[in-house]
Amino acid sequence: MDDDLPTDFQVIVVGTGMVESIVAAACSRIGKNVLHLDSSDHYGGLWASYNFDGLQKFIKEVNADPKRQLQVYNLIEKWYIEKDSPQDEKKEDDENKTDDTKSEPVKKIWSHASFTAEYRKFNIDMTPKLLFSRGPLVELLISSNIARYAEFRCVTRVLTWLNDKLMPVPCSRADVFATEAVSIVEKRMLMKMLTSIVGYNEEEMNNEFKDWNDKTFKEYLSHKGLTPNLIHYVLFAIAGGTNNMPCLEGVKECKKFLMSLGRYGNTPFLWPMYGSGELPQCFCRLCAVFGGVYCLNRPIDKVETKTVDDKMVVTIDSKSKTLNCDHLVIGINECPKNLISPEPAESCDISKAVFITNGSIMPSEKEPLTLLRFPPLTDDDNAVTVLEVGPATGSCPKGLYVVYFITNKVKDAESDLKPYAEKIFDMSGGDQTQTADKPKCLWSLFYNVKDTSAPVASSADAVHVCSGPDAGLDFDRAVEQAEQIFKKICPGEEFLPRAPDPEEIVFEDDVTHGPEFQREEDDADGDAPKE
Amino acid sequence: MHGRVKVRTTEEEKARKERERQEKLKIFKYAMQKIQSKRKSSELDKELLELTGKVLSSNPDIYTLWNIRRDILNIFRKNNEADESLSQMFDAELHLTEYCLKINPKSYCAWHQREWVLTTRTDPDWSTELSLCNTYLKLDSRNFHTWDYRRFVVSQCKPPLKVEFDFTTDKLLEDFSNYSAWHYRSKMLVELYPDLEGGRPIEDSHHKHELKMVQSAAFTDPDDTSAWFYQRWLLGAVKTTIRLVTYVIAPKKATFAFSKHVDLSFVRSKTFLLINNQEIVGEWYSCTGNMYDVLWVFKHWASITDALDIKVMYENNDGIKEEILSSKCSNSPYIGRTEIDFERKYSAPVVEELNNQLEACRQLLELEPDSKWTLLTTTVFLHCINSRLNYKEVMENLKTLKNVDKLRAGYYSDLITKWSVEEQLYSDYKSDNRQFKVRFTETMSSLPHLQYYSFCEEVDLSNQNLSSKVLPSLIVLQHCKKLSLANNKLTSLRYFPILDLEELNLKGNELDKNEIELLKTSKNYNIIY
Repeated sequence: MDDDLPTDFQVIVVGTGMVESIVAAACSRIGKNVLHLDSSDHYGGLWASYNFDGLQKFIKEVNADPKRQLQVYNLIEKWYIEKDSPQDEKKEDDENKTDDTKSEPVKKIWSHASFTAEYRKFNIDMTPKLLFSRGPLVELLISSNIARYAEFRCVTRVLTWLNDKLMPVPCSRADVFATEAVSIVEKRMLMKMLTSIVGYNEEEMNNEFKDWNDKTFKEYLSHKGLTPNLIHYVLFAIAGGTNNMPCLEGVKECKKFLMSLGRYGNTPFLWPMYGSGELPQCFCRLCAVFGGVYCLNRPIDKVETKTVDDKMVVTIDSKSKTLNCDHLVIGINECPKNLISPEPAESCDISKAVFITNGSIMPSEKEPLTLLRFPPLTDDDNAVTVLEVGPATGSCPKGLYVVYFITNKVKDAESDLKPYAEKIFDMSGGDQTQTADKPKCLWSLFYNVKDTSAPVASSADAVHVCSGPDAGLDFDRAVEQAEQIFKKICPGEEFLPRAPDPEEIVFEDDVTHGPEFQREEDDADGDAPKE
Repeated sequence: MHGRVKVRTTEEEKARKERERQEKLKIFKYAMQKIQSKRKSSELDKELLELTGKVLSSNPDIYTLWNIRRDILNIFRKNNEADESLSQMFDAELHLTEYCLKINPKSYCAWHQREWVLTTRTDPDWSTELSLCNTYLKLDSRNFHTWDYRRFVVSQCKPPLKVEFDFTTDKLLEDFSNYSAWHYRSKMLVELYPDLEGGRPIEDSHHKHELKMVQSAAFTDPDDTSAWFYQRWLLGAVKTTIRLVTYVIAPKKATFAFSKHVDLSFVRSKTFLLINNQEIVGEWYSCTGNMYDVLWVFKHWASITDALDIKVMYENNDGIKEEILSSKCSNSPYIGRTEIDFERKYSAPVVEELNNQLEACRQLLELEPDSKWTLLTTTVFLHCINSRLNYKEVMENLKTLKNVDKLRAGYYSDLITKWSVEEQLYSDYKSDNRQFKVRFTETMSSLPHLQYYSFCEEVDLSNQNLSSKVLPSLIVLQHCKKLSLANNKLTSLRYFPILDLEELNLKGNELDKNEIELLKTSKNYNIIY
């Protein structure tokens, strides 16, 4: 097999993270000859989604050989349930309950064994992220026609933590109308604030905010007469900020949020079905459709740059084969240190956690898909982003929810996030069937990730280093960086022009045509079921 | 290399589309021709059904074709086609309309055809229709055709009204900018929750709840008019009483003025003239000749002399007969008047809610003093809660609104006129004066409640802002002798009504000299110009 692999490419991409995959697709799309490699056996790198078995392997790998996954550390996995399901007890329970609790099905008792049995129904993200409905990634997926490779679900609600409980955030017009959490005058104030932020043109913006450059968003909101409740909603939940958020940044974040409202669902967000890890793969698929060559399980040993005939060429040694290319696009984690110049500054790492629970943090009629924005609980903390996804997103088996926590690291993942988790989960283990206010946490995973999201310059013009995932909510920075890299490799070329649909493609070939398909004479029955 | 990707250029694509279009046009023309000729030769058969179906499925709005299809289906019906096959034909018809509505969800004729099928066939399936409405309203919650059709379906299959009511709640929570949903809601509200004890249209707690709901909508998006409409409807949902406001029994003429337009049967069955305790027989004529009128003339044969005991029995809304006595000064006819009352009769809990909402509006006005919606709503609340107590503030607000909202200045002027006349009526009805003279400072642009002044001998409408279009309404001044319209905006006298005047003042109007002369020759009263 290895012998079949050609050795010369225009572009070689190493790593199948988000940025790398977008660049690979963009290059391939305009006709560049692309080879895309990944050292592991799956797509996505740190952006990947795993089923439960894959996740267990990942955890084992990190714990067994911390040097192999330098980016992930402080990894702690915990079970809150038994190894095996208590089969007999459960049956007894069923019998006892048939009389009085007909309407409510008996809660399933989960165990290690039942997780293992249904491992394929889990899709757990290493880098869970949302898409803004009018954000750059959605626009790119549509304009490039890559959207047909992906499916999305609308985030159904935005929650926040207010007065020691979970509260839905009224963010759309319909929400503001329906909510009973704010008074009638507050409704008007909130709507006025939101519509004015969206409505300001540049001149009005400059006018309104000329004196606010060095002040906080919170100060601005109080100045506008918003009540403490409303300030909480706008500052923490809509702008996703903290008390110190600068005013202009707050306005920008609000605008981004509000501009994405009303396109698909009741909130501005989309969640990719089967996890965020699907998205790099969509771009890889387009790359392959336009002729890109893929090799997984292909670690690289050495990268060298040299000049041949006045042209910079990069050579890669991989599995004792030398591959040549004009441009090397490489994920920061795969990149030899000598190519990075200068060393990226030490930045704030990310604390993450994943929980599997037996119910939603706030049950609702239809299965919810939730974004929860926690304001910092103490002054030293950062704001915490929580995403709760259910079975309808293909993330887990029926009856379970996967909940992601993300924040900027202060101490370590567990101490940063556990206090928040305890607010909304019952983490004491015990009887899963008992009904309580909070869902039971069945399994948890805390870990820290090195923040490699800062753009990094390489020491050679022909080598382009792609950043890792950031702590942000969306993919915007990845899309932006991919476009920049593409523009460097292919100056003047269009970034991911629309890929044609199959019916738009004309096949010009030298084989003789078969008989032409006869179209039925009337178009009228177009949609009617075929006989 | 084969299988190479080559995308059609836009030019190629355009040419291809044009070719397709021409092809379609050819087929369409041919089909239409064939349909016409078959129809001319009365071949109303299955082939024609098929042909029209094919054309309609791409052009659902050719109503002639739907008519033909109904003709055909009717023939099959009359020919005693077997139930099963008839049912199949109707099913196919429903299928076709559904398909057509997918192409044009606002096709009048497709919706009508569907309604026809369901009312014509013997085995209609209403539950399917209701779920069809649900689906269509999910796709477009504001399609009034679907709402209309839904009301039709509901009128046939009669699901619990509460379910329908809750359906509108759901739709409004999704998007309250929906006239159809608010309207449907108002219809069900009075059916579901009438106030049986108090005789009001809506039961207190629900009236309050709706007021709260619509206020929430109005405060969320004041620029959306649908909520304001519903709010106005709610404020107007009070017990309405039609009252006899004044009657005049003169030797020549007897007139009766009502607070609202009423018809002959109403007048005849509720109003009785008694002279010396003797019921007088006579005939009723509306003063305009219209079926509904505010002023009715009673022709009777009794002679009206001095020193009679004249009174009127009037049966009010609650079925109670009121006795309305008359008074008489020398040289004047017998005049009876009832007490003026323009207050809206809300229940105490609703008034409490209105006061709360007024308070919220006032808070908001402090924050947004320039918001016309808030000011208008505040004003309407003030008027509805107690029009007399709040009269001054209401007038001030309306004057402000005229400046803030110039586009609707005329509307505010009319409100000022109407509410000012109402206020003046309270005192005018307390005096025995038979004069009407405008005593408020704002000029009148219309003549509301003029029938209340039908007993007046002298009516002074000078220095107002009246145009010729108000002239017909002067007909209610049946007992007026001296009428002044001096210094107004009259431009023509064409529609001046027939009145038994002695003097008419038309000074200060831009009228045509010839018209004045003509009037002078035809009328036997003094015309000042």
